[in-house]
Amino acid sequence: MIEKIKRKVLEDPLFGYFLIIPILVWISVTLFYPLLRAIYTSFLNIEFLGETGRFIGWDNYARLLGDKEFRLSFVRTLVWSGANVLLQIILAFFAALVLDLEFKGQKFIRNWILLPWVIPVVVLAMIFRWMLDPTLGVVNYVLQNTNAISSPVPFLGSVDWVMITAIFVNSWRWFPFYAVMILASLQIIPPQLYEAAKIDGASPFQQFCYITLPHIMPVLVPVILICSLWAVNVFDMIWLLTRGGPGNATQTFPIFIYQKGFQEYRLSQAATAAVFMFIFLLVYGTIYLGTVTLEEK
Amino acid sequence: MNSAKKFFQNLAKYLAVALLVFIIVSPIYWILVCSFKPTRELIRVTPTFVPHTVTLFHYVGLLKETGFMTYFLNSIYVATGSAVLVVILTSLAGYSVYRCRYLGRRFFFNILLAIYIFPRVLLLLFLYPMFARLNLVDNLLSLVITYVGITAPLNVWLMRAFFTSVPLELEDAALVDGANRLQILFKIFLPLVAPGIAAVAINSFLMSYGEYLFASILIVSDRFKTLPVGMAQFLQQYEISWGWLASGSVLIILPPVIAFAFVGRYFVKGLTAGAIK
Repeated sequence: MIEKIKRKVLEDPLFGYFLIIPILVWISVTLFYPLLRAIYTSFLNIEFLGETGRFIGWDNYARLLGDKEFRLSFVRTLVWSGANVLLQIILAFFAALVLDLEFKGQKFIRNWILLPWVIPVVVLAMIFRWMLDPTLGVVNYVLQNTNAISSPVPFLGSVDWVMITAIFVNSWRWFPFYAVMILASLQIIPPQLYEAAKIDGASPFQQFCYITLPHIMPVLVPVILICSLWAVNVFDMIWLLTRGGPGNATQTFPIFIYQKGFQEYRLSQAATAAVFMFIFLLVYGTIYLGTVTLEEK
Repeated sequence: MNSAKKFFQNLAKYLAVALLVFIIVSPIYWILVCSFKPTRELIRVTPTFVPHTVTLFHYVGLLKETGFMTYFLNSIYVATGSAVLVVILTSLAGYSVYRCRYLGRRFFFNILLAIYIFPRVLLLLFLYPMFARLNLVDNLLSLVITYVGITAPLNVWLMRAFFTSVPLELEDAALVDGANRLQILFKIFLPLVAPGIAAVAINSFLMSYGEYLFASILIVSDRFKTLPVGMAQFLQQYEISWGWLASGSVLIILPPVIAFAFVGRYFVKGLTAGAIK
């Protein structure tokens, strides 16, 4: 009897479909419709927003791949994402290891470490632009007064510095998010393993390599993938910090597409670049989908 | 010997904690302190780390002379609207993928996860003409529709731990008692996963509240602008007012921080449980 009812609870396909349809309809309109339009538009020659355009096959793609500005923005996207992932994971790791210790206020800090993530990007961009300003910024003041630097550094104003600065600011916002996830995986490591390792005379470094790392891998792999997918997609932070400049020094994919679409109004070119970015992320994201499995009940 | 070792271990531990707290708090401390400084102290060559004079001058000026309150109300409206809709959509979808069995369930779940790979700029390129045709450009509804679309799918994932932890027996018992499935969902199941719903609500609220890209294109007139766009604009328009920048920042931060203080721990719980499979 109970078994029969349990099966009834689980197996009621119509109810399942009924509940998931609203969200599917919603994302069809807001996600899949724009995607299809973008693919379609990438085969037209809409040189200016509002034109109907004519079918021109793969010409836009050929032109895009031949565009030096686009190729450079591709390289910048790789640098930006790679560095962001690296820095965020390192910072998250440090934070997770610290939060795994026992100390007063640990519970409080474990929640409030997410503070940078709670604050809107616009505010962060404004705060950091001010703090990093060469003349009025507190960072340059402190660095000069501690004799770390002799003259003010134009953190956001020079081609040499801007990328690294933007990477640091963006990482500062995101690392707590991943710290929480890595901490979660640290906490499920059985403490007996460390005790046994200590008795066997393993050094802290060995313990880290042979106990900690293998145990957090199942979390670290999806975290790194999510982190990189999000890093590629970052628009707000870069735009509000630098507008893609100076020059084009921080012009990653999203900035390139935005400028083509909303400043030059070249819709087809913007769409082509966006589809290219989508395919790039899709290839990368397929790996991600492979690592996340839907849990069985 | 042993106690000395212990002392240094403790010292190292608290230094690490202090470093972490410093990294997180220092920019926020700085903006908070600056928002209370009078203008001449703000632009001093040697900055003061603790304000010599405390004033509410910039707060008063900001609220009186800029459209801050309008932007603020728009933002709250958009963020609350999005959060409510996201909660409804994801509760239903979450129940569907985590508590029901049917053909295509995994496929739907993967589609929801695929949101990770949608370039947001791509969406904007074609949502704009779509909303233009629907006459929804320069209407806060267009923002709500967009934000629900881009935040809802990932929130289904955030619900996982809460949704899978409720024993199936509860639903069995209710079925035996003759309740229908919708009654079970709304009267029995959803109240039990309230923390998960809170996590989803805060997450979508925060994402919609601070979003800049879509808000900067889909809204045209000043009276419909949300905080991120309105703020960024009036700071660029004139000679920058550092006092307004600081006080505006503090005021923008306030609602999300207060919301997080109440339900942030559920979000952390969802994130934690979501990370471990």
